[in-house]
Amino acid sequence: MDLIPRFTILALVSGFVMTSGIGAAGDSLSAEQIAFFESNIRPVLVEKCFKCHSQSSEKIKGGLILDTRESTLKGGDSGAAVTPGSLDESLLYTAITYQDADLQMPPKSKLPDEIVGKFKEWIEMGAPDPRTGDIKIAASPAMNLEKGRQHWAYQAPVAQTPPAVGDAAWAKTDLDRFILAKLETAGMKPSGDANARDVLRRLSFDLIGLPPTPSQLEHFLTAWARDPETALAGMVDTFLASPQFGERWGRHWLDAARYGESSGKEVNVLYPYAYRYRDYVIDSFNNDKPYNAFIQEQIAGDLMPADSDKKRAEKMVATGFLAIGPKSLNEQNTRQFRFDVVDEQIDAVTRAVMATTVSCARCHDHKFDPISQKDYYALAGIFLSSETCYGTVDSVQTRRGSPLVELPLAEAGPGAKAYSPGELIEMQFRLGQLQEQYAKTLEEVREERRQGTANDATNFLKVRGLQSQINLLETKLQSVNADGVPRPFAMGVRDRDESFDAQLLIRGDDENTGDRIPRGFPAVFTHGPSYTPSPAESGRLDLAKWLTSEDNPLTARVLVNRLWYELFGRGIVSSLDNFGTTGDHPSHPELLDYLSLRLIANHWSIKQTLREICLSRTYRMSSAFDAESFAKDPENLLHWRANPRRLDAESLRDSMLAVSGQLDLKRPEGSPVAEAGDGTVGRGIREDFKNVTEEKHRSVYLPIIRDQLPDALGLFDFADPSLVAGARDVTTVPSQALYLMNHPFVQKAASEMGARILAVPGLDKNQRAAYAFTLAYSRPPTDEELRKTGAFLSRFLETARTEEPDPKKAGATALASFCQSLLASAEFRYLD
Amino acid sequence: MNPVLSRRSLLQTASCGFGYMAFSALSTLQAEQITSPLSPKAPHFPAKAKRVIFLCMRGGPSHVDTFDYKPELKKANGQPAQNRPGAKLLASPWEFSQHGKSGQWISSLYPNLAKHADELAIINSMHTDLPAHPQAFVQMHTGNFQFVRPSLGAWTLYGLGTENQSLPGFISLSPANGVGGAQNYGSAFLPAIYQGTPIGSEQNRGAAAGRRFAGAAQEASIPNIKNDKLSDPLQRIQLDYIKSLNMEKLRQDQHQPEVEGIIESFELAYRMQAELPSVMNLDQESKETKALYGIGDNATDAFGRNCLAACRLVENGVRFVEVTHGNWDHHRGLKNSLENTTAATDKPIAGLLADLKRRDLLKDTLVIWGGEFGRTPYAQGTDGRDHNNKGFSFWMAGGGIKGGVRHGATDEFGMQAVDGKVHIHDWHATVLHLMGLDHTKLTYNYAGRNFRLTDVYGNVVKEILA
Repeated sequence: MDLIPRFTILALVSGFVMTSGIGAAGDSLSAEQIAFFESNIRPVLVEKCFKCHSQSSEKIKGGLILDTRESTLKGGDSGAAVTPGSLDESLLYTAITYQDADLQMPPKSKLPDEIVGKFKEWIEMGAPDPRTGDIKIAASPAMNLEKGRQHWAYQAPVAQTPPAVGDAAWAKTDLDRFILAKLETAGMKPSGDANARDVLRRLSFDLIGLPPTPSQLEHFLTAWARDPETALAGMVDTFLASPQFGERWGRHWLDAARYGESSGKEVNVLYPYAYRYRDYVIDSFNNDKPYNAFIQEQIAGDLMPADSDKKRAEKMVATGFLAIGPKSLNEQNTRQFRFDVVDEQIDAVTRAVMATTVSCARCHDHKFDPISQKDYYALAGIFLSSETCYGTVDSVQTRRGSPLVELPLAEAGPGAKAYSPGELIEMQFRLGQLQEQYAKTLEEVREERRQGTANDATNFLKVRGLQSQINLLETKLQSVNADGVPRPFAMGVRDRDESFDAQLLIRGDDENTGDRIPRGFPAVFTHGPSYTPSPAESGRLDLAKWLTSEDNPLTARVLVNRLWYELFGRGIVSSLDNFGTTGDHPSHPELLDYLSLRLIANHWSIKQTLREICLSRTYRMSSAFDAESFAKDPENLLHWRANPRRLDAESLRDSMLAVSGQLDLKRPEGSPVAEAGDGTVGRGIREDFKNVTEEKHRSVYLPIIRDQLPDALGLFDFADPSLVAGARDVTTVPSQALYLMNHPFVQKAASEMGARILAVPGLDKNQRAAYAFTLAYSRPPTDEELRKTGAFLSRFLETARTEEPDPKKAGATALASFCQSLLASAEFRYLD
Repeated sequence: MNPVLSRRSLLQTASCGFGYMAFSALSTLQAEQITSPLSPKAPHFPAKAKRVIFLCMRGGPSHVDTFDYKPELKKANGQPAQNRPGAKLLASPWEFSQHGKSGQWISSLYPNLAKHADELAIINSMHTDLPAHPQAFVQMHTGNFQFVRPSLGAWTLYGLGTENQSLPGFISLSPANGVGGAQNYGSAFLPAIYQGTPIGSEQNRGAAAGRRFAGAAQEASIPNIKNDKLSDPLQRIQLDYIKSLNMEKLRQDQHQPEVEGIIESFELAYRMQAELPSVMNLDQESKETKALYGIGDNATDAFGRNCLAACRLVENGVRFVEVTHGNWDHHRGLKNSLENTTAATDKPIAGLLADLKRRDLLKDTLVIWGGEFGRTPYAQGTDGRDHNNKGFSFWMAGGGIKGGVRHGATDEFGMQAVDGKVHIHDWHATVLHLMGLDHTKLTYNYAGRNFRLTDVYGNVVKEILA
């Protein structure tokens, strides 16, 4: 860890002031020596070094303070700056002579030789230095904060007048004017409009994550020919109103919310109730819940008013956001574990909502952003005053189980694991047996102890093993009512009985505590109204309100940037989860502000914001390549064309199900993880969560076990569910090709697609091919493609017949192989 | 979420990628022979090392407890650390002793590896820019943590191609999930085919308690390697058709290097089906060989398998193999956990060196051991060490390496490199040099500028060259 700021932090945070203990050193100096110092050395130090190496420096670099004789001799992080009489051991001399490439001071230009000579003389004469006194580090936090607040992202968005543009006819909306103005300034032009087919595919995948159906395509093409504007607006509204919208956009939020259905880490324990949070997110998007309310509920839904039990339950489920994170359930140290959970919560909240990394201030002030360790512990107090309820069963390996939240509902609803009367009786019987065995084992151990023959390691495992089995059964029995109907449990948080401020942990070390830090929010952002938590409450509700207040400079910007990324393949700020000083600068800062304020003006409506963007001219640009524009802006930062994009894992899988007619659009009840119930992955419960070959529901409903993702997701750059991940990787690796060539899921989709085509009566060979192309690519084949398809089919059949005597079977194989080729091809996976 | 066709897709090359279009009239085989970007290429100058195995120790291994002997630290145990107020120096709980003819100092944590002391060139003066995992880990792999840049393996593959056209040229066994993820074996703006192929993924969550410290645990196998439905001739016919569809897309889009990457990946996948299963099948190895790597022992099984797989992969012509092992982030419980982590790796690594030698591969295979940074000589808590980017150790062995030498030094306690400092850029330059590549000449033109792995930095560490 960086040593430089720590020095300052310690002084600041723990109220520790470094004082010079040694007495004056100047007593024995001669007047000549003092004169030498005063005329040759001190002025140079003041003028050339004090900017970074004085107690009054804004930021002291390298821990080196040259204000007093003592501090100079002591030196900084690298060691003594001056050793009287020894040039070799005086780093200051090494630095000013520029002999070491890594240590050259002053950094910008070497001092004149004459001055260097004076320093040589001075050190050789014993470095006489009359300066004594205490060092008081005066780095003013207020000043650093003022400077920190100047970072673009920490300033409130400013209302922007759309700029004037040359080609006024091109721009259909204000948004377009922001894009066009930059292009015009760069002497560039936007690419032409995309054709109707590309626009429809784009809209369909962007808004609902599925390919357009052939009949949607037909209608849209007709409507577009009549009037593109009306066609577009109608289609956008249709998609926004579709229940598939929430499944698509809810999943985007789940990436940022690091949604997973198990604890991950060392001992991977299932979260059988996590799916409730997933469904809450999907429903919220479908209901166009205002984004500010959406965030508030996830952080403090349990503390918000609700006018019915159903609403209350919904808000309690929302706080699952804070409970679903990865956890080291085998952590031995209770205190450490609690801090780890809180740390993870702080990380998820600040990165997902504000694209700011606060959690690195656990051990030291943030190295790059104006977030202090104090800020961190101010937030930590809020979360420590809350209880995280995530369930999980204690076993030999984990002792960190927690309660769950019980919802104010009469029934758990479908999806939660139910037990039949028979199962209940069996479980109770088994529990009785285990308890008996447990008592007996304990007695045996006691007896062995008495006789001195006990093997403690073996006994420990035996006893804990039994205890685990008892815990598991008890948890299962408690998860249902006496009749086996599941109780309405959920993951979530609630306030502890007493709230308290956190003690700062020096260097994040839980054995090294500092001052208590009053609960609050990072100082750099709090220049608007204050939201100091009331001492009686955890402060989560205040945090939720503060995060979503219109004065928070980040929340709206971070969201619209995420929306922009999903629609254009690149954020206005490329680093979606990092708006700090190490993040990227916005390519169009004015546009970002404009959109943020539009979001707020639209009452934080995500659907309305998406609608406005989708109806812009910018969204309609074609992705056509243009050599001239490419030469000027190869990364398309100015957005001179639409970015060609690759379908993400879910869309790819869902598309295969859709075009093969297998997709089940009904929402499944619960999740395979809920069905499996409590337990540890790999220990007596279903181990094949990765195998989802037979699942026909949309991909958002596949089991998301941390570190055990199904191939259909894991191989295609799905977001790591343990990390807040706004953006996904795009990789091209042969393991993806192998999946598309050989996986039974793809083979099944291909044969089903073939069967679907065969089932249409009266199609000739070419019409069948055309139908397949339309399903897969939303366009008919070209003549050349038809010819190649024909050639492929004959060649394939010719060979297939040598292997398969039944011509009908050979024909079906050929057709399936043709369909699989379409599914595996690049065009199927690309959005132009 | 729908990513753009990342930067790699935006090759601003004068030609259009590999020039498929020019060869579209030729047969598949002819075209491949002429244009395959993976064909072996001549190095810039003759070199001993032909391939690399990088043993990547994720989390920051403690150098003062392994390869950097600090007798002064022992004496100063418990004294305040100069550069961190309040912290106390912590002597290594393990003894160091000299090994081999060269007398290399290695701690008791690596008893098996120590037998190969005379093969190792230990660099004690490594340093990197930041003491934070994601940044340092990405910098170790790509040279740069601020921007997405090609990884070391991708550059190597780009520079040299690969010897076996039926296997990926760059394979990452059990790569880390976090800390930069796919970036660490990514190709960034280099053509997509130079990207590393991940096999398995790092999991420090083995189901069995005994495997908890084994680190990399997932079985190293490639899923979907076999087609159960189509015979080989039929699949070839199908792939030719897929290729023609993709070529059509390429033609329409004019400029779409990612589609070229997809075409390449299908061809490679097809060839891998024939070759990879037998290479990855460790059952073909004798009991004795497996024992050499500690396969079968709970503590060493997982990493041992990966090391043996790495050996077989390079034996079969893979250019660059990375094997990741974690977690070395020993903030707490140093005494127990570092012992467990080293125990999980000692025998497998020693076995790998012995086996490579036996197969006559060590002479031209470069083996590298290191992590993203080292750890502080002072304690965190009472039994842990913090991150230290200012001084740490790597070692290299095999092709082109002068064995039994030690390069550079940290200060008396191991806090920072003071002598013969080697930055990550310098290490990158050295690895490329050992492979016969001049790091200043291995460039790729992207967005109008020539990029290098080492940017404007990098000095080859000549002292360790044979």
